[in-house]
Amino acid sequence: MILTVTLNPALDKFYWLEHLPESLAPSEEGVTIRTTKSLTSAGGKGINVSVFLAAHDIDTVAMGFLGGHTGQVILRDLLARGVSTNFVWIDEENRTNVALIVRGHEYCPIHIHEEGPPIPAEALRIFLRKYERMLLRASYVVLAGALPPGIPLDFYQDLARRAREKGVRVVVHAGGEPMLRSLAERPFLVKPDVREGLRFGDLPLHTEEGVIAAGRRAIAQGAEICLISHQLTGDILVSAEGIWKFEAKTPLSAFRNLVGADDALVGGVLVGLHQGADLIESVKYGMAAAVASAEVEEKLCLDRKKILAELEKVEVRRREGS
Amino acid sequence: MKVRDFVRRDLTAVERDTRVSQAIKLLENSGLSSLPVVDDEGKVVGVISERDIIRALLPEYVDMLRSPSFLPSLDRLTKKLREIGDHPIERYMVKEVISVRLEDTDLYVADLMLRKGLKQLPVVDEQGRLVGVVRRIDLLSRL
Repeated sequence: MILTVTLNPALDKFYWLEHLPESLAPSEEGVTIRTTKSLTSAGGKGINVSVFLAAHDIDTVAMGFLGGHTGQVILRDLLARGVSTNFVWIDEENRTNVALIVRGHEYCPIHIHEEGPPIPAEALRIFLRKYERMLLRASYVVLAGALPPGIPLDFYQDLARRAREKGVRVVVHAGGEPMLRSLAERPFLVKPDVREGLRFGDLPLHTEEGVIAAGRRAIAQGAEICLISHQLTGDILVSAEGIWKFEAKTPLSAFRNLVGADDALVGGVLVGLHQGADLIESVKYGMAAAVASAEVEEKLCLDRKKILAELEKVEVRRREGS
Repeated sequence: MKVRDFVRRDLTAVERDTRVSQAIKLLENSGLSSLPVVDDEGKVVGVISERDIIRALLPEYVDMLRSPSFLPSLDRLTKKLREIGDHPIERYMVKEVISVRLEDTDLYVADLMLRKGLKQLPVVDEQGRLVGVVRRIDLLSRL
């Protein structure tokens, strides 16, 4: 079983627009934005990974905190998609995240993200008991996404340590200080989330050299493998054995919705490893899943035939001298 | 049809030391009519239902005549609920758990629910660990 932890789940709401108003500045007439289509689904990075895994018939349990009407909608969506759930219920409502996708500019959506509810200490205590219990059944645990308000910055480090003590491989799919602190617990795979800024600690990630330096630092600090996205159609894998570049030969104009693509990447890597593929083949499958997801309007592409078709377009090169 | 085709893979559960007030809140939030009680390994060791909590509040009413004359005032009920709110649910849970497996048939589950008058059953794996629940509505909606 693959356990995913999403401490700050969301209801993801996507709106597609023909165009944005010329000005969003307040005016007496107000501003009305008309949409041509909308989609709603359970969201949050770990939840997305679970949805991807369940679509590949892999036993997965999603954990975290749910509350209010939004929490009920998230739960119903996950159960309908074949994901097992083990959430802690809280009194406050889960957040809703909105993405505006403008025709012709699909690769740069406009996001409106709520902060999410604070987590009461009692709910956190109940979560840790559930987490310890679920670790007994897990082969991997994915710690994913931003921390909700009030959760200590070393929380992922704590969860990673508990998993390591039980022999469960840890995947950290998060960013910032919580991800950096988790490295001390020697996670199996780190996929830094760079949406809030192209940085890994104090290292900028604007160039290929910068990405490689960050990957090496992650390995030096404890991670077995570090996978960092470099540009929209490229990923760089760094491990103690070497450095590999993955590139998808896909034009940006093919992209319809980028939200969730990096979660499909992590999900795809885990599908490959779960099915016994080697690391490089697994990352290739993850990359194909990410590109296929970016090419559909739904958040995740769950059509295996389409993912396999994209697999043909992914090139892998081992970096010389590594 | 097998249980695996209509199981609700919700592992919402409580522990023996969960307080009655917490269980009530969880029943309200989760939309479940009963909660499996699990041990540290996730094995089902009991079930606590709305009915079990009502029985704790009104033993005379549930176990005897079910007559309005056995219903105390709401004030007395509130007071009683305050008294037991901090009690661990272990005191009130049903310990003889009736559960089903993923490979059991819909007919078997329907028969069990009707005979025992149960709204919901925990689903367990070979080790007795919780893997989900089956509600009457899950069966009805697939008829």
